[in-house]
Amino acid sequence: MIVVKDVSKQYGDFTALQNVNLEFGNGLYGLLAPNGAGKTTLIKMLATLIAPTEGEIFYNGKNINDMDDRYRERLGYLPQQFGYYKNYSPKQYLLYLAALKGIGKKDALDKIEELLEKVALSDVVNKKMKKFSGGMIQRVGIAQALLNDPEILILDEPTAGLDPKERARFRHLLTDLARERLVIISTHIVSDIESIANEIIMIRNKQLLYKDSVADICATLNGCVFETTIDYDQLEDFRKNNILLSEKQEYGNMTVRFIHKGDSEIEWTSVPPHLEDVFLYEYRDELEGDN
Amino acid sequence: MRVLWNELKKILTWKMLVLLIFINSVLYFLLIEFDIEYFPNGSDMYSYNLGIEMIKKYGITMDRDEFIDFEKTYADDVKKADDYLQSREEFGEEGLETYEKFRDYDWVNRSGKASELRDEVFFNQSVDLFWELQERERLIEFYKWKDSIPERLSKKKQQRFEELIAQKKFGLYPEVAWMNFKRFIANVGIAILFSVVLVISPVILKDRSRQIVPMQYTTKKGRKLFRTKILAGVIATFIVITALLTVYFSLYSLNNTSMFFDVRVNTFIGNESWFDPTFFQFIMLFISGIYIIGLVFGLLSMAFSSLVPNMVSLIGIQIPFVIGFLIIGLYPLLPDMISIWNPKWLSLISYCTIIIIVILFTAVLWKREKKMDIL
Repeated sequence: MIVVKDVSKQYGDFTALQNVNLEFGNGLYGLLAPNGAGKTTLIKMLATLIAPTEGEIFYNGKNINDMDDRYRERLGYLPQQFGYYKNYSPKQYLLYLAALKGIGKKDALDKIEELLEKVALSDVVNKKMKKFSGGMIQRVGIAQALLNDPEILILDEPTAGLDPKERARFRHLLTDLARERLVIISTHIVSDIESIANEIIMIRNKQLLYKDSVADICATLNGCVFETTIDYDQLEDFRKNNILLSEKQEYGNMTVRFIHKGDSEIEWTSVPPHLEDVFLYEYRDELEGDN
Repeated sequence: MRVLWNELKKILTWKMLVLLIFINSVLYFLLIEFDIEYFPNGSDMYSYNLGIEMIKKYGITMDRDEFIDFEKTYADDVKKADDYLQSREEFGEEGLETYEKFRDYDWVNRSGKASELRDEVFFNQSVDLFWELQERERLIEFYKWKDSIPERLSKKKQQRFEELIAQKKFGLYPEVAWMNFKRFIANVGIAILFSVVLVISPVILKDRSRQIVPMQYTTKKGRKLFRTKILAGVIATFIVITALLTVYFSLYSLNNTSMFFDVRVNTFIGNESWFDPTFFQFIMLFISGIYIIGLVFGLLSMAFSSLVPNMVSLIGIQIPFVIGFLIIGLYPLLPDMISIWNPKWLSLISYCTIIIIVILFTAVLWKREKKMDIL
């Protein structure tokens, strides 16, 4: 079990995370927040790449930095930017990383074959990676994170560059893996984790906002999410009075999905909230700022 | 061991080998070729031959009796020159019937005919005897000055000159092979320095700019990989220096100077030194020096490589160091490392200082790497 205790991180005057407390047991955790919210900082602290300015992170009661290689040998990590040697083949690169992970060459070769099969790269085992697409590179990244059969798997934006078919395959793979280990996925793509995460962690204003199941997080908006159809001319006024989640043109009218807290109108249909609704609602200021 | 081997393979790639060959080919033809291709150059040939003859006949030192014998050989050669000049009527017509007259002739206000005859002797027919005589005269002249000490020397230098005179270590042997070697090693030093910096510079930066470090540092090996990279860099430096020294000394062997190897450096003309190794021992000293300088620059390159953000900055920061060393440090630390014209302990203190600085610098970087945030 990983415990994040009173962790803060500052870069000079800038505070990236403030007083974060978390607990992770086995299962799949989705770390969901818009870009720049501090996801990668938290992930990198869990991966020992960044040290907390304050607070500590424990694995089974021991500080992960003190555990040193005993922690890292249990860790599988895929960074947001997966770096590689372009003249290496996946096999060469995985063998290189296997050596760093302390895996013997013979065991590594068997494991590499198995993993490349799992990520559908068995037909390009010996091809140079410089010819690979973004999705193929990302799959090599996923394979390397699994090389040492980690107890803790931390994946930072793992689905970047994957096509829908690859994403679906990846989700199945994660569901299998999370049965007997701790998997943390950082993403800003809600659909990647909505259906598979045991718990979702949301960070806002440098602090923990939610750490709960998808159902419980969605329940925070129960009775507040509606859909209705309006004229295109009414859209501007409607935006001013409600928090719009999505809008779709249908037969000359607009079908809108929105949040309204208070009395509803008769023509509005109450719909069950989705995780994306909560995401859009909670981060509306940041998202509007981005736009 | 596998990790170290992998890091070493990343440094010594085929691409790097090709680049190394290219750089060294360019530097060879620009700096080194002349001292291999044209040795002994022109009249140095007679100096070189005379040196070999002296070593064969007198060994690596010359005592008074041996010098008398040397002078006798000179007198015999003068006689041969006299015979040659007297056998040629035209020399007699110009008043050059003996070598003494030929030597003491007023060549500044020479007649056209005398000039033609001299050119014929030295250049058109290239009579070896006349060249050799000049060289013998030069050596005899040096012998006569063997007990003199240059003026305006520091006390220590003066003492050293006196010591050498007391030990009968005079500059008697032709310096042609020695000077050739000094020029050769200075330029080999430049080639090796550039090669080491070229090969070692990207070692740490490459992984950082390719964003491979986060993956490396989250493995079991973790940040200790930094030390392995440094070790791989040091081994690669050692390999590069050894390979280049092998190539360059193989080329140097074409100069055929091994007969001078047992001669002590103080007995070469104009080469008074603080210490008195043989030529061969000096070569070994040079090799030790170039390994130290190479390893120091290798470690410096890796240190810079772990500090700067990109390749352009890396090149930019290293140019002043390399050029600065070539201007200030190359000669005092390599060819002139024991020369009396530099302070006695300059090279030793300089070597110790740069070694300590670089080791401390590397230790500080390792400490920094252990703690730093990998963003």
